Amino acid sequence: MKSSRQHLAASAELLPLFEYSKIINSSLDLKFILGTLLLTVMGKMLVSRGIVLVERESGWFEIVSAKGIQQELTGHTIPLARPSRAITQLDKLKTGARPWAAFFKQHDMKLLVPVIVRKKLVGLIALGERLGSRKYSSLDQSLIGSLVDLSGSAIEKAKMIEELQDVNRSLDRKYQELNTLFDLSKEFNVGLDANRVLRLLTFSLLGQIGVNRYAVCLMKNGSIDIASSRLEVQVDLTAALQLCCLLKSPSLVSELYRKKKFKSAALEFDQAGIAAVIPMQVQNETKGLILLGAKLRGGNYTKGDLEFLYSMANLAIISIENARLFREAIEKQRMEDELAIARDIQQGLLPRTLPEIPEFEIQAINIPSKQVGGDYYDVIQRSENEVVIAIGDVSGKGTPASLLMANVQAALRALTPMGLSLPETTARINDLTSKNTSSGRFITFFWGSLDVPTRVFRYVNAGHNFPFLLRANGTLERLEVGGIILGMMPTMVPYEEGSTTLQQGDMLVLFTDGVSEAMSAEGLDYTEERLEKILLQIRTLSAREVIDKITSDLTTYTQGTPQSDDITMLVVKVL
Amino acid sequence: MSDFKIHHREGEGVNVIELKGYLDAHTAPELETTFQKLLNDKKFNIVVNCKDLTYISSAGLGVFMAYIEDVRKNQGDIKLSNMTAKVYNVFDLLGFPILYEIYKEEKEAIVRFTQPKKS
Repeated sequence: MKSSRQHLAASAELLPLFEYSKIINSSLDLKFILGTLLLTVMGKMLVSRGIVLVERESGWFEIVSAKGIQQELTGHTIPLARPSRAITQLDKLKTGARPWAAFFKQHDMKLLVPVIVRKKLVGLIALGERLGSRKYSSLDQSLIGSLVDLSGSAIEKAKMIEELQDVNRSLDRKYQELNTLFDLSKEFNVGLDANRVLRLLTFSLLGQIGVNRYAVCLMKNGSIDIASSRLEVQVDLTAALQLCCLLKSPSLVSELYRKKKFKSAALEFDQAGIAAVIPMQVQNETKGLILLGAKLRGGNYTKGDLEFLYSMANLAIISIENARLFREAIEKQRMEDELAIARDIQQGLLPRTLPEIPEFEIQAINIPSKQVGGDYYDVIQRSENEVVIAIGDVSGKGTPASLLMANVQAALRALTPMGLSLPETTARINDLTSKNTSSGRFITFFWGSLDVPTRVFRYVNAGHNFPFLLRANGTLERLEVGGIILGMMPTMVPYEEGSTTLQQGDMLVLFTDGVSEAMSAEGLDYTEERLEKILLQIRTLSAREVIDKITSDLTTYTQGTPQSDDITMLVVKVL
Repeated sequence: MSDFKIHHREGEGVNVIELKGYLDAHTAPELETTFQKLLNDKKFNIVVNCKDLTYISSAGLGVFMAYIEDVRKNQGDIKLSNMTAKVYNVFDLLGFPILYEIYKEEKEAIVRFTQPKKS
């Protein structure tokens, strides 16, 4: 009899349980299941207050639902270290005995029920006092236990779904990050423009990380510059520079504190509101830094964030470096183009063919240097009986030098037919060029006029390397008479004229300092002494042969050292 | 190149920006120009209608971030509306729903400028 009554009571209990089980098993939402579990237990036990929590990370529990007490508790996550795995009557615990119990006692909870699925603690249910202050009997406790067990598979299923959703979301995020990197790598190299790269970089920082305080610092010739910034305070650049040299991986400022060498920089950055520092590296060399403030949507930078930022930073700096190299290459090309123009001007000034006079052999050579030095020579046959020869060297290099030389040539060509004396003409050329020159440019210039029938050679030397006159008898003279270099100042002191009569077998050798100052591999000049010595040895050769010999001696001497100045020679041999 | 278009409409005190196509690193500067122009013209009440926006990259989102501060400083706002699920997913992934007001319909967003949300 007694047993059938018990059966009846049991089936009366079972029917609602069946309903309950149906409801929770049709849901995949963990919060709904736990909330329903709490309400069901509260209804069965006639309790008006209860809390249900779910463990999120080890030791951290999220309050899924709180009934009959402050609603704002819901959604909070609290730490609870190793709560009991058995149903526990909280009043029976000694005060302070279990630290985790404090939270529940504070909210006047009486019974704590662990939710254990497959031996794993999933959450906790805490219940307040029953109506009428009834105790939780052992039968009550086992009924609660059964309800929890009944919910086990539904909870497990819902947890798995939650985990899957988490995994899905983090995969979505990774996919999004990869997309961003792909998007940027396509765009960064368009137009090779460093400013564009910086703008896209900052947009992506703002968008991907959700940060609105940042600075991008770039290294430039050993110092560091802020290339783009949106910080509320000025960052100390010494700290940034120090980090730039030492920091090899992306770091949180809070981590930098732990390393002694970064401590002062960390303090500096912290005060500027910077939370993370990302080095921008090209082949392991840090060329810049990205400084980032806190994330606007809250939370710390995760390892994944830092890795993503690091990839993005490196992608950006490679493009910035490429843009710089590209700009340099363009600049170099521009300079080379300019030099080509200078070379054209200079070559255009030189006579294409030299006049042929039966009594003299006139030969010349001009080997321009890469930078184009501004050397010039000229041979003008003014009449059957007169030949003018000239050689000059403009200070400086490139287009300005060649333009100035063009000026000198024009003056010379315009003035020689006027029948003025050599010193007078020289004075006029000087006056013209000194008006046209700027910033201390000048020209060393030697020129002379050869009277063919008498072999009288009259000349003016305006500061040029003294030409050699090698006599057939073996003596050597230098042609020094003249005046100051051209282009420095208007003529104050008249130029003087030198004069000499050439004999058969004599040889005039005009040259520029590109010859005497040609440099050996050891950095030593060729010198006029060496030139003189070799000239004495070869004075009987033809003008052509003399030029060839000296040229080949120069080649031997310099041993492939790059030629830094134009080499020019003009040789007149009396036949 | 990618297809992206911006259409600007001006209603009563509210500027509606319609975005169409791909908003990525390549096209982000166009949206930047649009926002910059609105700011220069002191137009701070902005609704961005994303009905025809097919894709948004983080550089695109960055443009919203770059201007929101200045706009809000001037008592304005950038509100978003009519997002497709795909575009919303990107906003959601990067945590934008807590930083921006996002509405289903453009008119709901416009109304919010005259009847601010109770908070």
